[in-house]
Amino acid sequence: MKSDEREPTESLCPVCLARVPAERRFAGEEVRLEGHCPDHGMWSTLIWSGPPSYRAWCADKGTVSCSVPREAVLSTPSACPLACGLCPEHQQSTCTAVLEITRRCNLVCPICFAESRPDTPGSDPSLRELEATLRDLFIMQGSVNLQLSGGEPTLRADLPDIISLARAAGFAFVQLNTNGLRLAQELEYAEKLRDAGLVSVFLQFDGLMDATHRAIRGRAFGAEKLRAVERCAEAGLAVVLVSTVVAGVNDGELGALVDFATEWAGVVRGVHFQPVSYFGRYPVGERPRLTLPEILRALESQTGSRIKADDFEPSSCEHVRCSFRARYWVREDGRLELVRSETGACAAELSSAARRAVAATARQWSLGPVGRNDYVGDYGSDKGDTAGAACDDLDRFLEAAGRILAVSGMLFQDAWDLDLERVRRCCVHALVPGRGLIPFCLWNLTSESGKRLYLRTTTGGP
Amino acid sequence: MASIARLSEDDLRWMCCRCSRPLEVGPVELTYLGNSFTLELPRCPDCGLYLIPEELATGRMAEVEQILEDK
Repeated sequence: MKSDEREPTESLCPVCLARVPAERRFAGEEVRLEGHCPDHGMWSTLIWSGPPSYRAWCADKGTVSCSVPREAVLSTPSACPLACGLCPEHQQSTCTAVLEITRRCNLVCPICFAESRPDTPGSDPSLRELEATLRDLFIMQGSVNLQLSGGEPTLRADLPDIISLARAAGFAFVQLNTNGLRLAQELEYAEKLRDAGLVSVFLQFDGLMDATHRAIRGRAFGAEKLRAVERCAEAGLAVVLVSTVVAGVNDGELGALVDFATEWAGVVRGVHFQPVSYFGRYPVGERPRLTLPEILRALESQTGSRIKADDFEPSSCEHVRCSFRARYWVREDGRLELVRSETGACAAELSSAARRAVAATARQWSLGPVGRNDYVGDYGSDKGDTAGAACDDLDRFLEAAGRILAVSGMLFQDAWDLDLERVRRCCVHALVPGRGLIPFCLWNLTSESGKRLYLRTTTGGP
Repeated sequence: MASIARLSEDDLRWMCCRCSRPLEVGPVELTYLGNSFTLELPRCPDCGLYLIPEELATGRMAEVEQILEDK
């Protein structure tokens, strides 16, 4: 790549959050986002540090299918990103809607995008308000993935009711974003949530070392995290381990987290890495930043190449530089085998998939030369001699499917690396009662001094 | 020939429309999203045209497809 190559884009000034011109500036394997505010001058942030190279990742791997929102709430293009809702300028429909059902939390983590704490002022949105919001979402976007978030959602006594009304509103996949403490502490709580219709737990799980928990969450609670996983296993709830990755704190634990997830394959369906972003509450001082390629390389080196940086692809849903993912079949002996998925997909495409006719389903399978069988032939090898059993490759695959582990990550944008090109392709949207859908990063964005781009207003009342 | 048990009598009565030969059960490799699966299916011994029974297409194949697509 030629040094000093540039691509124009737009960003926000980290000081005043004004929309300003910016550019991606290339130098060797590194790419920086550089912007200039007429009032506050220039800033520059490292956004890529290959390998893999920026071009290879974006061009060779990334084929993002563009799908405009089914219904834009705002009727006219607005001054993106300052009056979001979504507007007709947005280029991707919702895959995951994140609904904050409380701003309160039972922790005061040193790092928290929502700035939650036990005494966060304001009341929670009422059941009636949530029901109306979910009904509107279903009309706008259909059955997208719904994540109940906060604050800490388990602080609400009526969480099972909220889950039930979400399912009744038509959302098939309802996930709980939680620190797991109540799941660990309260007997049969996981069962209650499951019975209400919960499908998956997005479990805050930064690492396995006490020092990691202390640095990121304020205290050590490895035992509670493990207990939460056990409780979910007993209740039959799928778990995604979610690690906020901070350079110099837990970026050496990525491999250990994959190992832990592998041990719990079948219950743990994914391990998801989120390099820390600097919005909301975070320690004052240096803002160490991990780029996507650095995470991929760390995963390869810390797993002894059991997984490889080259295994990963961007999602076909959000912007190519926002996420990475690969899926592995966890063999009985702990080996990880890559599950190929030449085109990623997400819930945004579900509706068309659901309508596929039988003929179309069959067409998507193609006949290859018998005898090659370089991958799926292995599906049966864990099972010993299956001769005579009514069992074929499809059966073996379906039996093994419960032990498919997703290794993924998402890089949120903060005020120092916000790129409007990425924002407009966002499919992870905060669902804000009374406001509609707002890309997650915009909803949580704060300036250098802590000023929010979008103020959280107090809601409540019947 | 384990998977023959999944085929109905009707599945085994088809003729190849190109070659006018009765289909015979044999190994067929199907690939989807880079993954390969070998199944015993009725196929033409001459041209290789094969039959995917509706129950298989709407059942296990659709299920595997969804898993591979991560849906």
